[in-house]
Amino acid sequence: MDFLAEGFRRAFALIFSVDAEVYGIALLTLKIGLLATLVACGLGIPAGFVLATKPFWGRRAALTVVNTALAFPTVVVGLLLYGLLSRRGPLGGLEWLYTWQAIVVGDVMLAFPIALALAAAAVQGVDPRIRRTAETLGAGRWLTAWTVAREARFALAAVITTAFGHVVAEIGSAMTVGGNIRGQTRTLTTAVTLYTSQGDFGVALALGIILLLLALLVNVALQALQGRGTVGRA
Amino acid sequence: MLELVGVTHRYDDRVVLDLERFQVPPGAAIAIVGPNGSGKSTLLRLLALVERPTQGEVRLDGARATGPAARRRVTLVEQRPVLFRGTVRENLEFGLRLRGHRRAAVTRLIDDVANRLGVAQLLARRRHELSDGEVQRVAVARALAIEPDVLLLDEPTSSADRAAGQTLYRALAAERARRPLAICLASHQLEDAYRWADDVRALADGRLAPVTPENLFRVDLPLGESLAGLKHVCVGSIEVATNTDKTGPAILAIPPTDIFVSREPLASSARNVFSGRITRLSHPRPGVVHVAADVGVELVAVITEEAVRDLGLMPGAPVVFSFKASAVRVF
Repeated sequence: MDFLAEGFRRAFALIFSVDAEVYGIALLTLKIGLLATLVACGLGIPAGFVLATKPFWGRRAALTVVNTALAFPTVVVGLLLYGLLSRRGPLGGLEWLYTWQAIVVGDVMLAFPIALALAAAAVQGVDPRIRRTAETLGAGRWLTAWTVAREARFALAAVITTAFGHVVAEIGSAMTVGGNIRGQTRTLTTAVTLYTSQGDFGVALALGIILLLLALLVNVALQALQGRGTVGRA
Repeated sequence: MLELVGVTHRYDDRVVLDLERFQVPPGAAIAIVGPNGSGKSTLLRLLALVERPTQGEVRLDGARATGPAARRRVTLVEQRPVLFRGTVRENLEFGLRLRGHRRAAVTRLIDDVANRLGVAQLLARRRHELSDGEVQRVAVARALAIEPDVLLLDEPTSSADRAAGQTLYRALAAERARRPLAICLASHQLEDAYRWADDVRALADGRLAPVTPENLFRVDLPLGESLAGLKHVCVGSIEVATNTDKTGPAILAIPPTDIFVSREPLASSARNVFSGRITRLSHPRPGVVHVAADVGVELVAVITEEAVRDLGLMPGAPVVFSFKASAVRVF
């Protein structure tokens, strides 16, 4: 118990003393997390909308692929990306291996199928009469899509928070293509693993608490953006 | 003119609509009647361009109708309409805003249509604060606000009480008097259809019926025939005699003008004689009365007002309906 209590004491001391290294890691994690979520959701939500609303040849196969990709192990994604970004790989010229950009790419590869599959489910959950009504009142493709998205706003916000949660919590890809380099590619999850293995439980715990606070912050911000959305009100 | 040409529509290889031609001329008031599952809603969705026919095409003024430009001239109010998130006023604004109306014009048009449809007091409410009947009225107001050339209504009074239904029909009549507007309405209430529409068309199993829409029944014709060359077909709890050589699923129609109405059974050549009680009398046109009676199934006969007076017919009174086997149409 002393060990745990000491860990918590150290953690809160680091958080409240505004330790430069701890906050540097937190800010890098936030930057990577927000950018990867933005790209993954920016591509995945419209793709999910298309998958949910447009009949096309191979749609069922596409859904199967996407649902399989949901369970893709993060370390395998890291491995594939490592092959692509290494000097001998097809994208070696970018020189992104062991940079934060490589972590963003890996995170996008992980979060994209999540955003796509959950967005498709969210849109499929909207009453089809909403789309037909918007169309019959003269709405074009974009306004119809926007009208449907408004109806699914809670589910779509959940898509964003799930994607962000997945991105900031993953470690396999970040470790493989980022390398956990101090001051450059060390994220909260890779740092927690490192400090725990070094026996520095207090720092690891401090970083873990910050990770939770980040997730909370993003959730609160999204809820605020949704506006007056209380249960039963439409 | 809005029309379907050579349309066959399928759901999972099942043909739900098969129409060589269906026209909605400018300014027409058309009622489509038919039993549940006859294809009325599908027909309206195809006309509204929110669903594409599996085969054939929808034409507007002779040209193939597709896209938002055509959809802005035709609008549909579904049987159970939905309102968008937001207030009733925001719902009514939807179609007007995307047509580029300015705010002042939008406000004026909304107040005007809301008053005509009796929904002015609902403008600040949200969808969960409305009854089904109110949602239906708001949906019609939302459709009328955009002043379409063709208004398609699917069972517009299904959630309304009688008074609200009358208000709606009066508002539609007033709208047609105010500006050129074609209305095509699907209903299972023949009485309303006759009272309101200039042209009543019957739909049965996705096809336009070649007879008037009363007394249409979906039946299963037995194999073979009786000694007298007649088939006896179960319709509700009665057996109707008909001389057809068809077998299997079919539509059986008894033209209302071919039914003799009497107080007592008549000695006649009619093979179909059924006793029952009058359920209602309606007057679709001056001098003409529709007599509906429950004779084991509800049948409607068309007779003159004079005949009603002579026979002393009134709701609840006993009545006998007789018709010949050759009068029964099977298709």
